[in-house]
Amino acid sequence: MARLLVVDDERDIRHLYAAELEDEGYQVETAGNGAEAAALLQEREFDLVVLDIQMKGESGLQVLQKIVRERTDLPVILCTAFSCYKEDFSSWLADAYVVKSSDLGELKSEVRRLLEKKKR
Amino acid sequence: MMSLSLSALPPVFYVNFACCWPKEHITQDECPYIGEGDQELLFNRKKRFLYRCLECPRFLDDLRTRREEMDGLAELFPYVIEELLGLRVQSHSLVGQIESRNREIKFLHEVSLVLQTSVDMDEVIAMALTAVTSGKGFGLNRAFLLLVDKERQHLRGYFAVGPRRPEEAETIWREIEERDYTLRELAQLFFEHKMPSEREKFKDLLSQLSTPLTRSDHLFVRALNEQESLHVTDLTREPGIDRAQIDALGVRELVLVPLISKNRRIGVLLADNVINRRPIATEDLHSLKTFALPVSFAIERAALYERLQEELHKLTEANRRLKEQQDLIVRMEKMALVGKITSNIAHSIRNPLTIIGGFARTLIKSIPPDDAKRRYIESIVREVRRLEDILQEVLNYSESLHPTLDLWDVNNLITGVYAGLRDDFEMSGVQCRLQLQPALPNVRLDYKKMAYCLRSILTNSLEVMNAGDAIEIHTVRKDGEIHIVLSDNGPGIPEETLQEITSPFFSSKERGSGLGLSLAARILEGHGAALDIESVVGKGTTFTIRLKAPQEG
Repeated sequence: MARLLVVDDERDIRHLYAAELEDEGYQVETAGNGAEAAALLQEREFDLVVLDIQMKGESGLQVLQKIVRERTDLPVILCTAFSCYKEDFSSWLADAYVVKSSDLGELKSEVRRLLEKKKR
Repeated sequence: MMSLSLSALPPVFYVNFACCWPKEHITQDECPYIGEGDQELLFNRKKRFLYRCLECPRFLDDLRTRREEMDGLAELFPYVIEELLGLRVQSHSLVGQIESRNREIKFLHEVSLVLQTSVDMDEVIAMALTAVTSGKGFGLNRAFLLLVDKERQHLRGYFAVGPRRPEEAETIWREIEERDYTLRELAQLFFEHKMPSEREKFKDLLSQLSTPLTRSDHLFVRALNEQESLHVTDLTREPGIDRAQIDALGVRELVLVPLISKNRRIGVLLADNVINRRPIATEDLHSLKTFALPVSFAIERAALYERLQEELHKLTEANRRLKEQQDLIVRMEKMALVGKITSNIAHSIRNPLTIIGGFARTLIKSIPPDDAKRRYIESIVREVRRLEDILQEVLNYSESLHPTLDLWDVNNLITGVYAGLRDDFEMSGVQCRLQLQPALPNVRLDYKKMAYCLRSILTNSLEVMNAGDAIEIHTVRKDGEIHIVLSDNGPGIPEETLQEITSPFFSSKERGSGLGLSLAARILEGHGAALDIESVVGKGTTFTIRLKAPQEG
């Protein structure tokens, strides 16, 4: 069973994503900020990270830099309310970029795609 | 004194003399020196004596025969006569000179009045050359003005005035005569009606007369350099002028007056009598010299004024553009603000919408299809969806206010990037040469990203290069593409590294994230542009960015 880490500073978003992704059959852990995420990544193995950009404290892009630097094989999906981050160069390091929506279809399909890609 | 003593002589004593001088009245036959129109002299003995007898050989003979009389007084008469005639000639010539000077002063006054009030180069020149050729000031047929072209180091035939053929001369001179124009009127007429046609008329001749300033042996250049007016009576014997120029002028005699203003060389005025072939008088040359001074000043002033006007025009234009840019910036700032606000609102709305709609969708899954509550939740899902669509529309609009892709001049982009890196180049001691093909068509690109891309390539190269090395950036239009070629003579990249260089986090350097080139590659990919890298270790590296050029037309 693939293990996902959802990082978002909004509690309800974390709950929603966890519920929906668990429904898809993944094992989901959540973190409320960059530090928590870093600690979890240190502790356990994950197959994929869903990462919010605008968070209090360390921003998602900073977290992303760290992840990509230490774990080049770990896919990251940036998930944000802002589509403008697509223009930010450092966001291009992510494997996918999803704009938040009540319809989680796009997010789920990106998760599926990246996990399959990783398996191959 | 003479006339008093003579009229005191009683005439009756001299009846036996051969000449008529003792008579009070004479007839036309008695004196061969009195012609038509001089009849007054037949009845005016005193005047006749002074203006005819003194020069009449018969009177002088009479005087000689009377030498012994009056205690030798008559012997002295010839001296007195000689002196008188001498003085008369002298005074005659003086009067002539005064008259000519007077004319000159009047003329110069008239000219300088016009010259001083005009700051238009062509008007000044029209005035000056009309003055020389109108027959009012100088009696010259034709005048040329050659002006110093400092940039091209040339004495350039600028303008000429005068008839080209004798028939034309007749028409012009008759007109001047009949209408009795003042000089000012003439110049004005000329300036307003004849300037362009006159310029055309002498075009070939003027270009033939143009002479490089470097030819210091040339007659024209010599007059200018030595600041000396010249009067050449036979051009064919003058070594300092080209045969072709003499033929073109069609005259042998020419005067040249240099135009000098405060030691600055303005040009040379040439004048001749091509039509009536009259020898050029020394007074004419003299007057021309005097005339040259105000003309020089006026031309220089007009030239300065012209430049001032040009500068003023440039400044006005720059000012206008600045104003436009300012307005644009204000407008863009306003739009950016609108965009920012919308974007912020969108963000704060999007999260709650995601949560509401997301949970509604989660809930719906656990509610059986026949449950009445399902319809309520479906409404929530649908309405949230609608709100999200509206939100997207608003965001799309605010993003369209400042599109990222736009038409840009590639050369502009490069000079902009180069300007930003100039300090880095200087610090590392690496030379950078730009060779940009002018007038390239604009390319649709994201300025910020493309600038980042170029900067990455350049800084990457800079970091491995040594002082004294060089980078050349050139642009060229080729095969429907625009190429930006960045070549350096740095250490080069080994072949095995070349493959990896554009993948993320590749870096052989201690510092830097290693992101630069991989991002650059992705940016170019996003632009549909290609990046070729060729490198020879020890020789250098060439990056070629190939951008699609827009279709012509």
